[in-house]
Amino acid sequence: MANGWSVITGLLICVAMAVAAWFFSPKGENQVLWRSSIILSIACCFLMWAITFLAQLHPLIAPRRSDLREEYVHH
Amino acid sequence: MAPARDTPFRSADMSMVQLYISNEISREVVNALGELGLVQFRDLNGDLSAFQRAFTQDIRRLDNVERQLRYFHAQMEKAGIPLRKLDLDVDILAPPTTTEIDELAERSQSLEQRIASLNESYETLKKREVELTEWRWVLREAGGFFDRAHGNVEEIRASTDDDDAPLLQDVEHHISAPEVERSFSCMNIGFVAGVIARDRVAAFERILWRTLRGNLYMNQAEIPEPLIDPATNEPVQKNVFVIFAHGKEILAKIRKISESMSAEVYNVDENSELRRDQVHEVNARLNDVQSVLRNTQQTLEAELTQISRSLSAWMVLVGKEKAVYDTLNNFSYDRARRTLIAEGWCPTHDLPLIRSTLQDVTNRAGLSVPSIINEIRTNKKPPTYLKTNKFTEAFQTIVNAYGTPTYHEVNPAIPVIVTFPFLFAVMFGDLGHAIIMLCAALAMIYWEKPLKKVTFELFAMVFYGRYIALVMAAFSIYTGLIYNDIFSKSMTLFKSQWEWDVPKNYRPGQTVTAVIRDPNYRYPFGLDWRWHGAENELLFTNSYKMKMSIILGWAHMTYSLCLSYINARHFKRPVDIWGNFLPGMIFFQSIFGYLVICIIYKWTVDWFAIGQQPPGLLNMLIYMFLQPGYIDVPLYPGQKYVQIGLLLLAVIQVPILLFLKPFYLRWEHNRARAKGYREIGERSRVSALDEDDDGVANANGGDRHSVDSAGEGVAMIAQDPDDDEEEEEEGDDHGHGGKFNFGEVMIHQVIHTIEFCLNCVSHTASYLRLWALSLAHQQLSAVLWSMTMGPALKVTGIGGAIFLVVVFAAFFCLTCIILIIMEGVSAMLHSLRLAWVESFSKFAEFGGWPFAPFSFKQLLEESEELKEYLG
Repeated sequence: MANGWSVITGLLICVAMAVAAWFFSPKGENQVLWRSSIILSIACCFLMWAITFLAQLHPLIAPRRSDLREEYVHH
Repeated sequence: MAPARDTPFRSADMSMVQLYISNEISREVVNALGELGLVQFRDLNGDLSAFQRAFTQDIRRLDNVERQLRYFHAQMEKAGIPLRKLDLDVDILAPPTTTEIDELAERSQSLEQRIASLNESYETLKKREVELTEWRWVLREAGGFFDRAHGNVEEIRASTDDDDAPLLQDVEHHISAPEVERSFSCMNIGFVAGVIARDRVAAFERILWRTLRGNLYMNQAEIPEPLIDPATNEPVQKNVFVIFAHGKEILAKIRKISESMSAEVYNVDENSELRRDQVHEVNARLNDVQSVLRNTQQTLEAELTQISRSLSAWMVLVGKEKAVYDTLNNFSYDRARRTLIAEGWCPTHDLPLIRSTLQDVTNRAGLSVPSIINEIRTNKKPPTYLKTNKFTEAFQTIVNAYGTPTYHEVNPAIPVIVTFPFLFAVMFGDLGHAIIMLCAALAMIYWEKPLKKVTFELFAMVFYGRYIALVMAAFSIYTGLIYNDIFSKSMTLFKSQWEWDVPKNYRPGQTVTAVIRDPNYRYPFGLDWRWHGAENELLFTNSYKMKMSIILGWAHMTYSLCLSYINARHFKRPVDIWGNFLPGMIFFQSIFGYLVICIIYKWTVDWFAIGQQPPGLLNMLIYMFLQPGYIDVPLYPGQKYVQIGLLLLAVIQVPILLFLKPFYLRWEHNRARAKGYREIGERSRVSALDEDDDGVANANGGDRHSVDSAGEGVAMIAQDPDDDEEEEEEGDDHGHGGKFNFGEVMIHQVIHTIEFCLNCVSHTASYLRLWALSLAHQQLSAVLWSMTMGPALKVTGIGGAIFLVVVFAAFFCLTCIILIIMEGVSAMLHSLRLAWVESFSKFAEFGGWPFAPFSFKQLLEESEELKEYLG
């Protein structure tokens, strides 16, 4: 499901959303404001998600803990 | 290609306009323009002092009216009459005519006199009342003395007759003497009765004793109720005194002393019959005075109440009127044509509106002479006018707090609307805190109207930034979800990519490491919740957040740098593109762009699968500079050559950054000179007729020939291009007007280059604050949880439930105060710095001056004096 290609898929979705935002921003003197804000927001959110995803794609370390309860372990 | 209308992307197009207004309607025109609030008038009478200007007389008169109105306000406050405040959203004041203003002036004049006279008579009456009251007290208390003293007449006589006799001689013997009613006068004893302030009694007594050498008999009594001092209106404790003494001269002396001690001496008759009459008389007079006083008070209050209804409106009217005359004082007056000439800046796209307003005023006045508005060309730098709406206002304020953007450069507030709240959210990422913040922001927006009236400064500030808070909270919700943090706890929204690799013979306390559950499944959104509570959680999140900070910083700075390209293109300065933007961009990308690519590349490689050691990127970057060509641990094949190439590319950019622009400008300048062009600023030096400045100026301002026959004022306007040269010289519009100075340009460029190259490094490092603050925020909320809710949830039973409620209250308060307000403010300040320094330094010049139109709305909003009159 969610593997390395997801970043590309996510990028494509975000680009599509940005394109849609460009065309569907309300007309008027604030159009530039709508476009810039929406597209920047999409870009920011994508960046953050992609960075988080990539950081966990091929993790170099794995979570480790020594306070697991027995009943939790066996389920 | 000028846009059809002004957008928030750049400051509005501005035009310098000249207005010719007929003298008769000048006031009305300025009034209408003040309501419109779109024109900033220039001062055309800069050489005249405030006293010499045409409308100073009117301003003085209005000042007087204002003083009178303030006097009414003070009187109302004294009388405790509430002021009806003016709500500008509800009440609309029609622009007043001159006669209305005159009437107002007259009316307030007469009202002032009336109130002053009422006040005066009130004060006299009050004084009279106090006197009568004091007299009544004296009569009452002194009566007591007399009654007692008469019992001792014999004794007193004995003591006066025979100086040697002891004072207390056989009292019983005389007690029932028949001559009790006999007067003191026959014994030649007089008395003085009066009232004195209690704190002076001791001094009074002492002085009397010393001056009269003890030849007196003083009796006093305290007046139980405080008397009001009519002069200061403060309550004073007073005593009644009666002094008996011997001989007229001594009595006169006592009177004098009492006067000097500001005691009031009252006439009291020793005969009890007469005294009774006196008391009656005093009481009657006191009643009269009190009723008159009441009437006066009522009249005064009625008068003030009536004024209180319209005082605010008058105050606003007078304030506006004064502003109108202040503006008119900036106009120059053409005596020959009886017109006023004004100059000012206004948004080009609002010119039709201004024109039609002028037309309206002229029509209403029924004047045949139209007011003329002329657009004039000028080489002056127009003011920066950035239109805002409710949403963008606060963001624009953040930008303006740093500086005023240059006319027509990309409005830095545009990216700030998203980047500022987003970078805040990166530091503030916690879903729980974000939701609380969102609720607060939404509440402020929902109850916008009632909350607008709150004057408490701290709240007003937060309220002003309510839309910023809204966007910040929205982004914080997103980053909270990414960080998978809600009040420092995690959410198991998706299936984890990890599972615990539990050995068969697991004992609690044994260290367990997780393994990837499925090589084709990764946690789809945000941080895997298995990291929460793991022993090496910080190891992972630090590395992740640090890299994220660098990438976000790189993206932010690259984006900002791109805006400088848009600026250069808009101002048609290709040299800025080739000499500043492009080399700067290449320099930045070949170092930090490369770093970002390496970070991402390193993430995409499965280092365990290929069985290689993952390289440390920090070392890689350091070796890239210190030992070009040395690769510590390889990241990819051919890395050596790529890095050397990039380093060379970056180094080459430095001389390009340094020299291209200054030398190009010099070349351009010399070429223009060679062709015989002179710069506009050099005109006056070139001119052979130095003293004939007017002629030169008129030849330049071709369209002003029509007015040059008129008086001083017009000639001054014609000279305008020569004025304010200081204003133009600032800024760095090289080669665009102003004198060309190669040394200056070079120094500027050297500074720019050094700054840019160093800043690339320091600014990138500066973005690490994103990591530091988000780490601090997350750790702080984890600590708060473990100190409050963590232990409270472990207690069981009814006591545990009660304990939990108490602890939850503490937890919630601390969360709001420390984690949301304090941490929020700190994250906001850091984000603000990233916007101001790291981002703005890449593209914005901030060389503009703000457009401050003559606007009544602004005037009323900003005036401190009128604040108390506006609701």
